[in-house]
Amino acid sequence: MSPVDEDLTQFERNARAILEESARRIDGRTRSRLNQARHAALAAAGTRRRAWWAGFTLMPAAGAVAAALLVAVVLWHREPAGTEPLALDGQHPAVEDMELLTDNDSIDLMEEWDGSFYEWAAAQSDGGAESNS
Amino acid sequence: MPEFATLASPYSMPAALHGDVTDSEEQTQTRALNQFLAGVELKAFKIAQAALRHEDDSLDAVQDAMLQLARAYSKRPPEEWKPLFYRILENRIRDMQRRRTVRGRIMAWLPVRGEDDDEEFDPVAQAPSLEPQPVRRLELDEAVGALEQALGRLPRRQQQAFLLRTLEGLDVAETAHAMGCSEGSVKTHYFRAVQALRAQLGELYT
Repeated sequence: MSPVDEDLTQFERNARAILEESARRIDGRTRSRLNQARHAALAAAGTRRRAWWAGFTLMPAAGAVAAALLVAVVLWHREPAGTEPLALDGQHPAVEDMELLTDNDSIDLMEEWDGSFYEWAAAQSDGGAESNS
Repeated sequence: MPEFATLASPYSMPAALHGDVTDSEEQTQTRALNQFLAGVELKAFKIAQAALRHEDDSLDAVQDAMLQLARAYSKRPPEEWKPLFYRILENRIRDMQRRRTVRGRIMAWLPVRGEDDDEEFDPVAQAPSLEPQPVRRLELDEAVGALEQALGRLPRRQQQAFLLRTLEGLDVAETAHAMGCSEGSVKTHYFRAVQALRAQLGELYT
């Protein structure tokens, strides 16, 4: 070890002694607050452990609730397979409207609209159906 | 169950008699953590105070470091606690210094106040003690004051390396972990700190 290292070691020893003396001189109020902080930290560690176990024991219940919610969401959004969109009462389905607009015959028919004839024909048709049944 | 039930364990029936091994382990761990924190709290406060130069801020920094260690790392092996604790403390100190810098910039735009509200003048506290003090104590007072002032003039990283190595007694690897840098950087910072302190205080020690 060189003389420089020996000096450095002595310097470090002196510095450490002085710093430790400085730490020993910390007043009672500060020591008390540090003590309170330490107890708060220990309590927090205990709380964290309890919370972890509590979370673990609640896991099955949380899983059941999540599964129930999932089933409810799936059922809510699910549509019966193979069914077509229903037309509202008194309205034609959209496909029928498109056929009416694109079919020239139908447009001609609409232009030569004879309401009374069709009402009579419908009444005859209904009456015939009822009489058949 | 009371909040500090684990602290009362030495005075209660041993947990092994209840057949609750886990509880006993937790009590042992809590006792170890308590012992560790009690051992570092004064030095940690001095280190925070050297950096922050404000008693309440230093207490807050130490308290936050204790809380975070207990919450996040209490399950780690106890030999890892010291570097982790000082790493957390250094992060807290850095956060506070940044906040203080921002606050200083904002306050610079506000009208100047006469005095800091937090630092009320207390004539009783400021008065010199009437107790006769031995010469040795006076010399020690001077040495403590001179060293603290010299430490305050060091760059932050040098101050940090010097205090962790000298006051807390961490080795180079632990200091590097606490400072978040390489061991080579620790050696450099430490060497420069010692050089600077010796240049200022050399006659006091040699």
